Amino acid sequence: MDHFPTNWGRPRNDAHDAFNTYPLHQRPAPHTDTFAEGVQRTQQPIVTGTSVLAIKYKDGIMMTADTLASYGSLARFKSIQRLHAVGESTVIGASGDMSDFQYLQGLLDGLVTDEFTAGDGDALGPAEVHEYLARVLYARRSKMNPLWNSLLVGGVKDGESFLAYVDLLGTTYTASTLATGYGAYIALPLLRQAVEGREATLGADEARRILTESMRVLFYRDARSLNKFQIATVTAAGVDISEPIVLDTAWGFAEGIRGYGGQTQ
Amino acid sequence: MNSLTERFATTGYAAELKRAKDVLGEEEDGLDPMWGSQAGFGNLASGVVKFNIPTVPDPSAFLRMHTDDFADPSCRIKIKHGTTTLAFRFQGGVIVAVDSRATAGSYVASGTVKKVIEINPYLLGTMAGGAADCQYWETYLGMQCRLHELRNRERISVAAASKYLSNLVYSYKGMGLSMGTMICGWDKTGPAVFYVDSDGTRLKGDLFSVGSGSTFAYGVLDQGYRWDLTDEEAQELGRRSIYAAGHRDAFSGNTINLFHVKEDGWKFIGNYDVSKMHYDGPDNTGGYAYELRVEGKSSANPPVTQ
Amino acid sequence: MPDGSFAHPQERQFNPYSENGGTILAIAGADFTVVAGDTRQSEGYSIQTRYAPKVFKLTDRAVLAVNGFAADGNMFVKKVKQRLEWYRHAHAKDMPLRAIARLIQTMLYAQRFFPYYVYNILGGIEEDGSGAVYSFDPVGSYEREACRAAGAAQALVQPFLDNQIYFKNQQPPAGSSHPVHLPLPDVLSIVIDSFTGATERHIEVGDGLEIFVILAKGRSTQGFDGRSGVQELSTTPEGDRVFVIRRELKKD
Repeated sequence: MDHFPTNWGRPRNDAHDAFNTYPLHQRPAPHTDTFAEGVQRTQQPIVTGTSVLAIKYKDGIMMTADTLASYGSLARFKSIQRLHAVGESTVIGASGDMSDFQYLQGLLDGLVTDEFTAGDGDALGPAEVHEYLARVLYARRSKMNPLWNSLLVGGVKDGESFLAYVDLLGTTYTASTLATGYGAYIALPLLRQAVEGREATLGADEARRILTESMRVLFYRDARSLNKFQIATVTAAGVDISEPIVLDTAWGFAEGIRGYGGQTQ
Repeated sequence: MNSLTERFATTGYAAELKRAKDVLGEEEDGLDPMWGSQAGFGNLASGVVKFNIPTVPDPSAFLRMHTDDFADPSCRIKIKHGTTTLAFRFQGGVIVAVDSRATAGSYVASGTVKKVIEINPYLLGTMAGGAADCQYWETYLGMQCRLHELRNRERISVAAASKYLSNLVYSYKGMGLSMGTMICGWDKTGPAVFYVDSDGTRLKGDLFSVGSGSTFAYGVLDQGYRWDLTDEEAQELGRRSIYAAGHRDAFSGNTINLFHVKEDGWKFIGNYDVSKMHYDGPDNTGGYAYELRVEGKSSANPPVTQ
Repeated sequence: MPDGSFAHPQERQFNPYSENGGTILAIAGADFTVVAGDTRQSEGYSIQTRYAPKVFKLTDRAVLAVNGFAADGNMFVKKVKQRLEWYRHAHAKDMPLRAIARLIQTMLYAQRFFPYYVYNILGGIEEDGSGAVYSFDPVGSYEREACRAAGAAQALVQPFLDNQIYFKNQQPPAGSSHPVHLPLPDVLSIVIDSFTGATERHIEVGDGLEIFVILAKGRSTQGFDGRSGVQELSTTPEGDRVFVIRRELKKD
C-alpha cells in the first residue's frame, strides 16, 4: 500500500514508487521464451461480418444480414450465411468474428439435438436460446477469452414474438427494433421511426420493404457491407431464411458529390 | 460405485450438468457451504474463500487499471477509500477516534461511514484504505476470534488477533489489497494497540494515526499526548486530533466517531459533527476554530459585529 | 527494436467492462422503503433500449437496484436470487434483509480481484418492521442509510436528497425541528422530482421510471392509493408487501 499522504491507501503501483524501496532492485532478466509470452487468445476478430437488423411485425419477427465476410478491408467471402435457424421457432444473426459464430452454431446445434433426443415434447424457444447465448458469452468474457460477436436472437413461441441482443461482453437487451454494428448508428433510427408503435399492425410486405430500404442505405455508407443479403422470417408457422437478394444500386448521384465520386480536387 | 460411474459418464443428467458448467463457466456455485444460513461465510470456517482471479498475464495490473482512480481519474470502478483514523494507549485504556468521510475520486461518496469496526466486545478495528477490504477481513477476523474463544476457553489476545490479520493479508501481498488498520483492545496484558497494513507490516505501539489526514492528526496528538491523561482529557485529545485532520485534509471530515476501550470492553463515546466542533465545540463550550481564539486580538481580526 | 528497446509481443488488452448509464435511488421511511430506477440502457451516445429494468424484487420485503455494467448487474441479480432460493429451501422462510445485505457483501467481495462493475442499493423492511436502505460499493463495502442515489446522475441526485431527506443546509422554523422520517407521498414526490430533474440534465437518464414501494406488514396502502400505474408484486397480502409504480420519463 502506498503511504505517501497524497496517494494514501491506493494499491502500490509496482511500476513506480516515489520511495523506491520496492520492488527490490533487480537486473532485467533475459526473455527465455518470447513465443510463449506471445501466445494470446483470439483477442481481435479476423474474418468479420457487419450489421444485422431485425424488427418485430404483425406475424412475428424479421431479420436481415448481408452475405459478406470481410478480412480487414478486403471483401474476402461474398456468399456466406450470417443468419442461422435454431430449432423450429428461432433465428439468430451474427456480426463480428465468423469463426466464433461457427463455434456457436455448432454449440446450438448440439443443444437442439440434445433437446430433441430428450423426446419430452418440449422444444427450445427464442427466449431460451437467448438466455443460453448470454450465459455462454458472459462466461467467456469472464475468462477474458471472449467470443467476438454481436448477436440478434428472434423468434415466435406460444404466440409471443421475441427479439433480443447479446454481445461479446454478455450485455443483453430487448426492443422491437434492433441493429448491430454500423447498423446501430445508420439503420436503427430508420427502423425505429418506421416500426415503433406499429408492431401489432405492420404487415409482412411492409416489414420486408423497411428492411430492404435499410440495407440499401447501409450499403451506400458502410464500406464493409454488400448489396447481397438474406431475410429471415419467423412466424407461428416456423423459420424461413430467404435465398440471397441482390439489390440494384445506382451510383450516378456520386458524380456530383465532391469526395464521393471521381473528382479529386 | 454409482457416483464413480456418474462422474465419468458421458451421457445422463450429471454429465449434462458437468458439460453445461464447463460452457457457462461456473465452478464456485453449488458448493455445499453455500446452501446454509451462513451467508457464504460457511466455507470460511474451513479456510478462506477462493477468489476469482482474471486470467490475464498480470492480474494486479488489471485491477489497478480498472480501479485506481488516482492513477486514472476516469477509471470506472471507484472503490471507496477511508481516510483519517487514530488510536492511542494511555493509563485509562485505549482511545479510538476516526472521521466518517469516504471518497471515490474527488466525490464525497459518503459522510456517514462507520470506520470503527466492532470485531467483538473487547476488540476494535479501524478502517483506512479500501473500505471493503477492511470491513470484510475484520468481519472474518471476528469469526476467527470467536473460534479461538470456543477452542481455548479464553479470549484471544490483541497480539494474536492482529497477527492473524497480518498473516492473512500478507498471503495476498502484491495483489492489490489496501488496508491500514489498528487493532485495539484490552487483554491479559492490559490495553494494546497494533498497527497492521496490507503490506503485512504489524507494529506494536502506544500511538498511531493512519490515513491521508494522519499527518494533521499526529501534529495535535503528539503535542497533547501523555501516559497519565485522564479519561476526559484523552477523549478530548482524540476528538481534537480528528477535528484537525477533518479541517485541514480535503479527504477527511464530516463527523468524528469516538470510542474508549477499558478493562470491561469498548464503549462508544459519541458522534461529533466536524463543523459543529469548529464553531461550538463538543459541549457548546467554545469551538476549536482558530478565528474564535484570535477574535478581537489584532486589527486583522476585529470583533464580529452582531 | 531500432530504438534499442526490447521487442515485446504486442498485445491489445480485451476490456471486459462497459458502462450502461442510468441512475438508481432508494429512500427509507419509518415503515416503508422506496427503491427506484430509470429504464434506459445506453452505451456511449447510443440508446440500446428504452426498457431495461434495473430494479428487481428479491423477496416480499427486499428489492435490489443495480447500476453500472448491465451484463454484470443482471448476472449478479441472477446469482443473488439463486442463493435466496436455496436459503428458502433450507430454512422454509425468506432471508431477512440484513442477512441479504451481508450475503451481497460476501458475493461482491468474492470478486475482489475481478470486480463486478456494479453499484448495488438494497431496500426493504427489516425484521423489526422499519424501512432500511443498504448501499454497496463494487467490492462489497456497505452501510445502512436513510437514502442513497447511485449511477450516472448520482452527483446530481444525491445533493438534492441530502437537502430534502437529511435537511442539510436547512434551518428548521423557530421552535420546531425537522422530521426524522418523511411520509410516503412526500417521498414519492421527491423520487419523481429527482428523476425528472436527472432526465433534464443527464443524457444517460430517461425513458421510463420504475418505483418499487415496500410496505411493512400491516401498513395500509395509504399514500399511493390514488396513483395510476400501480401494480402489486407481493406473493401474499399478509406479510410485507411490494408494489411497483411505472411512469414515463422524457425520451429525448
